[in-house]
Amino acid sequence: MVNIIRGDVNNKPVSSKRLAEYFEKRQDIDGSLYLGYPIIGTSQGGYQIDALLVSKKHGVVIFNIIEGANTNIDIEAAEDESFNKVQSKLLGNPNLTKKRNLMVDIDALTYAPALTVPPNNVAKIITSEPQLDEHLKSLNWQHSEEYFTSLNSVIQAITSIRKRKQRNYVKKEDSRGAKLKKLEDSIANLDREQSAGVIETVEGVQRIRGLAGSGKTIVLALKVAYLHASHPDWNIAVTFNTRSLKNQFKQFINTFTIEHISEEPDWEKIKIIHAWGSPSIEGIYYEVCKKHNIEFRDLSAAKNLINESGREFDAVCEEALNKITCFEQYYDAILVDEAQDFSQHFLQICYKILKHPKRLVYAYDELQSLSNKTMGSLEEIFGKDTNGNPLVQLQNKPGEPKQDIILEICYRNSGPLLTSAHALGFGIYRHEGLIQMFDDAGLWRDIGYEVEAGNLVDGQYVKLARTNKTSPDFLKSHSDINDLIIFKSFNNNHEQVTWLVNEIEKNLQEDELKCDDIMVIHSNPVRTRQAVGEARNLLFARKINSNLAGVTSSPDEFFSNEAIIFTSIYRAKGNEASMIYVMDAHECFSGPELARKRNILFTAMTRSKAWLRILGYGEEMTGLMAEFEQVRSRNFVLEFTYPTEEERRKMNLINRDMNPKERKRIDQTNRNLREMLEALGNGEMHKEDLPQELIEKLKEYIL
Amino acid sequence: MREIQRITGKLISIGLSVAQNFPTTAFVRDSGQIIAYEGIQDLSIALKNIDYKEIYDELEKGKNYNIKMVDGALIQFLYTYKRSELVAHRLAFFPSPYLAEFQNNPEIYQEDAVYADIIAKNILPVPIRFDYDPDNHQELDHPKCHLTLGQFKNCRIPVCSPITPSTFISFILRHFYNTGYRNFTEDINFATQLFDETITIREQKVLHMAIC
Repeated sequence: MVNIIRGDVNNKPVSSKRLAEYFEKRQDIDGSLYLGYPIIGTSQGGYQIDALLVSKKHGVVIFNIIEGANTNIDIEAAEDESFNKVQSKLLGNPNLTKKRNLMVDIDALTYAPALTVPPNNVAKIITSEPQLDEHLKSLNWQHSEEYFTSLNSVIQAITSIRKRKQRNYVKKEDSRGAKLKKLEDSIANLDREQSAGVIETVEGVQRIRGLAGSGKTIVLALKVAYLHASHPDWNIAVTFNTRSLKNQFKQFINTFTIEHISEEPDWEKIKIIHAWGSPSIEGIYYEVCKKHNIEFRDLSAAKNLINESGREFDAVCEEALNKITCFEQYYDAILVDEAQDFSQHFLQICYKILKHPKRLVYAYDELQSLSNKTMGSLEEIFGKDTNGNPLVQLQNKPGEPKQDIILEICYRNSGPLLTSAHALGFGIYRHEGLIQMFDDAGLWRDIGYEVEAGNLVDGQYVKLARTNKTSPDFLKSHSDINDLIIFKSFNNNHEQVTWLVNEIEKNLQEDELKCDDIMVIHSNPVRTRQAVGEARNLLFARKINSNLAGVTSSPDEFFSNEAIIFTSIYRAKGNEASMIYVMDAHECFSGPELARKRNILFTAMTRSKAWLRILGYGEEMTGLMAEFEQVRSRNFVLEFTYPTEEERRKMNLINRDMNPKERKRIDQTNRNLREMLEALGNGEMHKEDLPQELIEKLKEYIL
Repeated sequence: MREIQRITGKLISIGLSVAQNFPTTAFVRDSGQIIAYEGIQDLSIALKNIDYKEIYDELEKGKNYNIKMVDGALIQFLYTYKRSELVAHRLAFFPSPYLAEFQNNPEIYQEDAVYADIIAKNILPVPIRFDYDPDNHQELDHPKCHLTLGQFKNCRIPVCSPITPSTFISFILRHFYNTGYRNFTEDINFATQLFDETITIREQKVLHMAIC
């Protein structure tokens, strides 16, 4: 079947729709039809192709589309131009050439369905479906087997990201470095959903959901490049929460735009900015305050508004929404990454500052929210119109660009790793029971699990596993399963540190890994700085340099090729590395605010592109290992009874986040209670000493 | 050299150094020896007449430091020897001009004692340099060993003698990272050796820095 990707075909909506409908019916063709894509970089800027068919049988077929009955253009010249541009783009890729020849067949034709009488001087103008049928039959690409995959890759312009690392130093055949090289070569193409995410342009709000490692950031960056290339006059903003993403975005957008228009983007038109901002750093909120002349609140000023830690940004956004009656609209498109870390009020602000038709694209991941926020419903976020209908509905209507896109394939983590991360993140095999669970059971399918047994229904048993499609095999086939994920328990911190340092040394000296292939994540953000000191010092003594990611390493940089990065989870988010070490994992095993702790563990584990080492010491580490052992022994499936709504409510309560005041209060109260019980127990106090009304209350609340 | 190595290691293990370079020693002509850090590049930028922010950015980008502290401050230890005799040194402290992050989110950093000194909004950190430059000695105007504050060209406060890395680091930690320093004094045990005095009598008669 033909995968239709609906980009923006300037001014030719009806004809392009017709072309799409034609190919939708052609179930016999294996390939993709791109509308309004690609945009090819030339010395005169970006040249947009109306429609392109990439098919195994036919090769590349370029369509110049004529919308109405206007044939005043020089049809042959236009076809020649399209042909030449596409050919030169493809010729630039050694993967598609043999000696001096392009091994891909290219054909160019003109499609004008509105014409009833074709002009008599041109041979190849196609005005009807039967004509198209005929023409396609005549095309037969001989070399498709060898070149089809590379062809897709080139068309999607993602070949440039593959070149990220030159691993020419790899000498041994199956060192870790060699395995990485093969791994990086395997990730060849965008999948169908990713392509849709990039190119399909909605005249309205679009949502991209996907789990960690599904490529959301790349999809957004590619999308920005595409929008900028097709609408150079648009004002586009990209925003996100993790500051270390800024550089990544800038780099990707730069590279992809160059592919499209052969020059760097106009950075006046594309703004990669933070959400909050300040007088020294551009930000969406700060800009809004400036433009509408309201008071800007930084973090400390925000704390005067609201005392709940973590909700400060939400509060300032809400205040701005209330204070501003008439919003200026100055953006044509806004893309928000990591939307799960923002609140609905921020999205509302973005919606309001957008020009009609409100092109807001937001990407998010359900489980990655480190602060347990949940997105409200669409009605809550975007509101209703004058008739009471929700303004934003996010439906995927057939024949139209998709409004709700789910990226279910995880390209970063292997199946076993992701399953283990989910198992530990949710506490599926935890002795005391589940810690958290999706309210919507269907979400498991959306993120790429299939039901092997049982049912995804409240109260019922279910067995879930990842499929080969949603967790490609090549992500795990390079190493033995017992090398992919290793849990290690030590007797004390010193042993942990020694082992870690020895392993890192081995990685660099024997395994042919580089410093930026490794990331060491510490489980407790508050203690990270001191906790990693010993390990870093030992490494320094062995002539291995390391950095501590903090607020001062330019928050936009992260990896270095001369130093190993040590980081807490907050800076690690959004980044990935082939070898991940998690230190002091036992701190995430149990205790208060367990949901947050397990989320930290989940996020840490899902940073790994290949290998994962989870380290810790003490009884809690043993407990954690036992949970993992459950997953491993079942061959990496998730088996559990789906909790009912009541059970979920209880879970959320027990494991909820607390702010420091709450925490202190609870600790204090528990201590007092303990003291009282002890005193009662050893006779220092008698129950007659307690006033009757207190005893009654105790009975009521607790017993 | 060993001292610098030791100091660097100590600062790493207590988490005060977030990025660092290996100390190196290079042998140059005339039996000279320069102790510096790996990857050292032309440092004349620090003396140019441009915005401090730009100077800092250049140094930071080129990793021109021995140690980068937790708040972004850069520390350099440069010693030049000729035939085993110290002929010059430059010990520099370049604070980060980007302290707003700490000052605007004090609670995050309050929990961590090491930041206590810098979260105050009213402070103004100043670049500090201890230079030993006997070749250009001019009594009172250019003491053999002098302290320059704030990059002022003509600020050369006389110092009694060249100082060791330990003395310098103790000075910086005690006065600018005091809370952190107090918490770790058992860990930070920097022995203080002294070089021979190089200050003149007339220089001693004005306000100067001395250590006994």
